[in-house]
Amino acid sequence: MRQQYARRTQVLTSVLGLIAFAIIVQMTRIQNSAEAAVFSQQAQNYAYELKTFYPDRGEIYDRNGRLLAGNKTVYEVGVDLNTVKDPHAIAFAVSTELGMDYNQILGVIQNPPEGLSYIVIADFVEAQQALNLQELKKALQDQAAEGTFGGLTGLQFKSHPQRSYPEDALASNVIGFVSREGRGYFGIEGKYDTLLAGNAVQVLVPTDPNKAFEIPRVSNGTTLILTINRDLQAAAEEILDEALSTYGSPAGTIVVMDPRNGELLAVAASRRMDLNEFWNYSTIFDESSDFNPAISKPYEPGSVTKILTMAAALDSATVNPNTTYLDTGSILIGGVTVQNWDQQPWGVQNMVGCLQHSLNVCMVTIASQMGAGSFYDYMDAFGFGHLTGVDLEGETTGRLKVPGDSDWYPVDLGTNAFGQGVTATPLQVMMAVSSIANNGRMVVPHALYAMMRDGRQYNVPAQFAGSPVTEATADTLSEMLAISLEAEASLALVPGYRVAGKTGTAQIPVDGFYDTTRTNTSFIGWGPVDDPQFMIYVWLEQPSESIWGAETAAPVFAEMAEKTVILLDIPPDYIRQQLVAK
Amino acid sequence: MNIPNVTHYIHAYKVAPWRIQRQWIGSALLAVVALAMVATLYLIVTSRAAIAGREIQDLTYSIASSQQVSGDLQTQLASLTSARAMERRALELGFRPVEPDEVEYLVVPGYAEPEPFVLTTTPNLQLSALTIAPEYNQSLLDWMDEKISSTRGMQ
Repeated sequence: MRQQYARRTQVLTSVLGLIAFAIIVQMTRIQNSAEAAVFSQQAQNYAYELKTFYPDRGEIYDRNGRLLAGNKTVYEVGVDLNTVKDPHAIAFAVSTELGMDYNQILGVIQNPPEGLSYIVIADFVEAQQALNLQELKKALQDQAAEGTFGGLTGLQFKSHPQRSYPEDALASNVIGFVSREGRGYFGIEGKYDTLLAGNAVQVLVPTDPNKAFEIPRVSNGTTLILTINRDLQAAAEEILDEALSTYGSPAGTIVVMDPRNGELLAVAASRRMDLNEFWNYSTIFDESSDFNPAISKPYEPGSVTKILTMAAALDSATVNPNTTYLDTGSILIGGVTVQNWDQQPWGVQNMVGCLQHSLNVCMVTIASQMGAGSFYDYMDAFGFGHLTGVDLEGETTGRLKVPGDSDWYPVDLGTNAFGQGVTATPLQVMMAVSSIANNGRMVVPHALYAMMRDGRQYNVPAQFAGSPVTEATADTLSEMLAISLEAEASLALVPGYRVAGKTGTAQIPVDGFYDTTRTNTSFIGWGPVDDPQFMIYVWLEQPSESIWGAETAAPVFAEMAEKTVILLDIPPDYIRQQLVAK
Repeated sequence: MNIPNVTHYIHAYKVAPWRIQRQWIGSALLAVVALAMVATLYLIVTSRAAIAGREIQDLTYSIASSQQVSGDLQTQLASLTSARAMERRALELGFRPVEPDEVEYLVVPGYAEPEPFVLTTTPNLQLSALTIAPEYNQSLLDWMDEKISSTRGMQ
């Protein structure tokens, strides 16, 4: 009996052993079969998915830390077609909340494009609207009978950031905007698009829920601090709007810059747009040059460039402040007679009188004495015909015809001397004249004060574009311009502050001839003369109240300067001089 | 020498096969218990690692979400304190823009002119990138595979 049990046990053990051996053999065979590699590859294909992590776009602040461009969360509202229970309920809820067409939504859900399991109903939905829909979805789910789904089952929400501009249209011409595709256009957004956008990071994420994966640290885009002063910008825009209304001008520009380092403090243009509604761009601007005329709309600036002609003449020792000439009211150059603005003779004048009365004959005379070679060398050194290099997207250069060009004629030397026949943007003129306000050194205008990345702040140093004239020339000319304004009792004078500057009244070329009824009026000035801290450029296009810069642009300069000294805490000259004396 | 006694003992053990069986069974049971312990430990560690990994993910998402909310609030605050909004509120409160002749300048000893905005004055305080140790995302088999591979690599 005992032997019988032992035999049975041996047989059973053998059978089980054989089965176990067979299982092991089969496992080994499967693991090493040809199909195993295919299955293994398939498993690996689905083991990870490539996921892209996008950084938040860098913010933009003004020089005092006011947010000019930030990010806010918006939602993509979509429908998972595999889980939809009630298309009518979804169409009704979404159309009611988002103001969309009910039938259109219903049609998309019921007849989706072939092969799609998820469709986007609306994107860039405001957070509050998305929240309302989410709450409605939850409420319907709570009310649904146990084991059934709510009416909005299948409605899905995905959050993502969107550019937001808290100041709406303020400084829009400087900031630029970002499209829904995330690309920056114009101004700072365009110029520093790559820096602001940052770098997206792609990682392989395991699909196995038990496998933890490391979410990569995605550095946000670089944050930028601008040189713009928000309050000064608001004041400039307000003053410009009032000026356009007062003087009947269809468009205009005001730029405020620190002549010591080229920092742009305010850049106001008459056409502005709410950057949060960038899609209105084409209805607001006829041409891209209208977005920021200060850098992209060259024009014949007129008499404001007499500053540069006089600077060249003084620097080349062609004249000195006391040099006199006899003004007969007209002068012949290149076979063309050039007249003064009033077509009257002004008799014997020195160089201060020449600037004070803005005499064209004087400018033609001294440019002729300098000679074309010397004159155009100076204009080139002042940056005419070149880009300023300002860090705003969309800058264009004006045109300076020089001897040798096919369309240059000898008369151009005369007309260029008083700012006709040559084109420049307001910022080009400011950059050139900054050499007079800044002891001969010409600054490169810029709008970026600093950038911050990964917790570090990098300040942008001032850049200089050479010294077209000597310090002595610059100081002498500043004094001459200040005296000429005071002697003329100009409307540009600012009580308590000594300023230097020059008006400009330029005729507008139309089809090769100058329109005698319309002008562009300008004024460029800076102060305080002994320690310049601001430079202001005013350009009013075709004012209807007066064609003269002295009656339109000059008072606007004074108003802007009064606001500037208050907002920049610049005390009147006598107080400042007391402080210096102490 | 007491040889008969020794022989007796040897004989006694030799003729007791159940003792040998018990030893085998004991050894087998010991191996099973050891395997069970390893399996239990493996399960515990794996599950804890998975939970820890999930918690890290949740916290990371939470950080991202907080940053998003912070950004939203910052933008909202900037809208509420925009130049236009502040001007409107000031006018409602009875303020008006100051005229140039109303401004009085006082000499304040030690007063420093306001400097442009500085976002940070400290050196880089950013923590090093989060790194999940292999213990939290590596299975026992992965670990063994890695060790075998590294050993082969060394050879």
